[in-house]
Amino acid sequence: MSETTVAAGWGEDRVPVVCNDCDWRYLTAVSTPVPHCPHCASGDIEALSPGDLGDAVGLVPELAVPYRVGPDVVGRQVAAFAEPIPFPPEDLAPDVLVSRMQRVLLPVWLVDTDAVSDWRAEVGFDYEVVSHRERYADGAGWSTHEVQEGRIRWEPRVGRLGRHYANVAAPGLTTHGVLTRLLGDFDLGAAVPLTGGVPEGVIVRLPDRSAQAAWADAQSELRRRAQDECRDASGADHVRDFRWSPVCSDLNWTLLLLPLYLTHYRDDEGAVQRVLVNGQTGRLHGASRGSARRAQRRALTIGIVALIAFALSLIVGLAGLIVPPLLVVGLLGGIVAVLIGAGALAPIGRVALFNRRQKQIPVET
Amino acid sequence: MASFPPEGFVQVASNVDGIDVYAPAPEMPESEPDVVDFACPRCQATTAYSVEDGGLRCAHCGYYEPPAMPTVGKGAQEFEFTVVTVAAARQAQGWGTDRRELQCEQCGARTSVPPGDLTHTCPFCSSNRVLQQTSAQEQLRPRFLVPFQVDQAACKRIAAAWIGASWMSPSALKGNGRLVEFTGVYMPYWTFDARTAADWRAQVGHTETERYYDSGSKSWKTRTKTVWRWESGHARQVFDDHLVPASTRFSELLLGRIQAFDTRALVPYAPSYLAGLMAHAYDVALDDGWESAREAMRDGTRQACRAQASTRQIRNFSMSLDFSDESWRYVLMPVYVAAYAYDGETYQVLVNGQTGAIAGQRPVDWTKVWLAVGGMLAPGVLLGLMGVLASVLGAVLPPTVAAGGLVVVVALVLLVIGIVLAAVTLTKARGMDDV
Repeated sequence: MSETTVAAGWGEDRVPVVCNDCDWRYLTAVSTPVPHCPHCASGDIEALSPGDLGDAVGLVPELAVPYRVGPDVVGRQVAAFAEPIPFPPEDLAPDVLVSRMQRVLLPVWLVDTDAVSDWRAEVGFDYEVVSHRERYADGAGWSTHEVQEGRIRWEPRVGRLGRHYANVAAPGLTTHGVLTRLLGDFDLGAAVPLTGGVPEGVIVRLPDRSAQAAWADAQSELRRRAQDECRDASGADHVRDFRWSPVCSDLNWTLLLLPLYLTHYRDDEGAVQRVLVNGQTGRLHGASRGSARRAQRRALTIGIVALIAFALSLIVGLAGLIVPPLLVVGLLGGIVAVLIGAGALAPIGRVALFNRRQKQIPVET
Repeated sequence: MASFPPEGFVQVASNVDGIDVYAPAPEMPESEPDVVDFACPRCQATTAYSVEDGGLRCAHCGYYEPPAMPTVGKGAQEFEFTVVTVAAARQAQGWGTDRRELQCEQCGARTSVPPGDLTHTCPFCSSNRVLQQTSAQEQLRPRFLVPFQVDQAACKRIAAAWIGASWMSPSALKGNGRLVEFTGVYMPYWTFDARTAADWRAQVGHTETERYYDSGSKSWKTRTKTVWRWESGHARQVFDDHLVPASTRFSELLLGRIQAFDTRALVPYAPSYLAGLMAHAYDVALDDGWESAREAMRDGTRQACRAQASTRQIRNFSMSLDFSDESWRYVLMPVYVAAYAYDGETYQVLVNGQTGAIAGQRPVDWTKVWLAVGGMLAPGVLLGLMGVLASVLGAVLPPTVAAGGLVVVVALVLLVIGIVLAAVTLTKARGMDDV
């Protein structure tokens, strides 16, 4: 590993590395290097040169969403995750998963910009109308109940906008959408300035999307903000059909970091199965895989028992040729042995069914 | 965007720094003169709305100004019952009691105008002016009207024909119809739209015939009985431009008889339509008008529900009704009003200024009526007397007894018919001067 450090704003010297097996790029502290890739557990990790970093050169983390969920909660989550798995692999033990737990910060691009544009929209104003509900019954006559119903009055508005927009977020990873779908949305409003740098022992994933690629998403967010501001400027409660053509200048890119716990276990084939926990909400997602090998061992045990029972029944049955009543006992014993033998298939079937029902976590996460 | 701001948009206050906001300019000009005078631009004489031409006409020099507004008909803007409007309408009950002091710009005379009057003609120089009504809510000013389409001459012809049409009217009045002077008045009306949706439930009676064994007569007989079954249903009704008079100045009964106004002829309000005519502002509050309209709408919906039942025998009927899409307008409708005196009494006549429908009070020549009633009863009475006489003569000439009895029976039948006809005639005669 060659030491290409990215120092500014990270709290301690960090070195960018890449896993040659899964192509995960991340920053790890110079003082506490990570021997295995937290994503695929591979040891084939290589330091990156500044030329390989692209937009990531000189990146400054500006905000971070703090970890709200501690290791104890994560441990309970992991135990709850492992508990319903039938015949879990040897490696799938809550203690093992917790011991492998790695804190990872996921990057989100933040951009500051000045935007100027004409705009046009329909803005909606809430109002209430008085309506009536009535009841009639022979003998009782009419009874009237006045009710108020909420409605929206839509009116056209146009205008000019010249505003500075700070910290407009856009995904830094191509898998951001998949991750938020699996782990739920992060509350970006809870982000705080990263004044003390990244905590010790935490690794930071590097963006795999360029700022240019993220700009399209940032513009969507920018449009949403401008739309809301134009609604507020109009004193309205709703806005729709918002149109603008912004000219943006003075773009300044920084990073927002999202908290994630990442751990893994190996299944029967030795493949790495990842378990992810949202560090803000505690929501867990992992690949649940039962161990077919353990199920087969259990099936073999039951099969042997069935075989022994069948052999004993056969002997008793043969004895029945001499003592006729034993023939019935031998017959019953044989039936029981066959039933036990059939039950030996249950563990294998259960695991196969369970594994088939599980969705694999996309490899790219 | 081609030009900024677009035509018809004006800048409004913005709540956010760095964002300018433009909104459509308000439809109505904010400052209108309180009083609009109508002087001919050519000769300075007074101009007035001409029913024949449908525009402003100067009777002095013939100057003509075409109608101010195009017809909008049922597309005339309707207003919802917003909480704000309803509250404002509840506060603004009528137009107060203060009279308005006006100084005529033509002759300088000062006159006092009663509250609620929207027009004024100077009693000294006959100049016309329209008084713009002020209101806390823009919607509570008159926004649309149906212009007069029947002129004074046609109105008089209609009235003459109407007065002479009844044989009960005094003969002396028949030539008087032409003498009646009609005054054109724009009457305030509320129009209401709504949809109703009702769920109903009732016991509906079905008549069934059954055979039974009568032990008394020891035979099989048939009899009918009513079987009650529960039925339910759902009815929807749409009410469009339901009219409710917004003035108590004229008889509601008479207005009801002529109020088949066609709202397809609505035009936006413009003072020129009122020039030389009278016009009144509403004195029936929006709430009261809506209550009256709702009463009619719910009864209409109830009838629609009952009509869905499989028979006409209905009991324990109940329904729940929801109103939706309720809206209203404040409009002015054209009415000609006339009052005429006869035999010391004053009678009122109203003519629909759009359709020519007429309603009013007519004096009744009770001598004619009683003679007619006498004529209706006479055959029965006279024939009855003859029958009685024939029966009495039976003591001398026995064969006349049977004939007398038959005549009495026929006389009774004629008497009953005569009484019915007399009752109808008297009811109609009494209704002729109802208000």
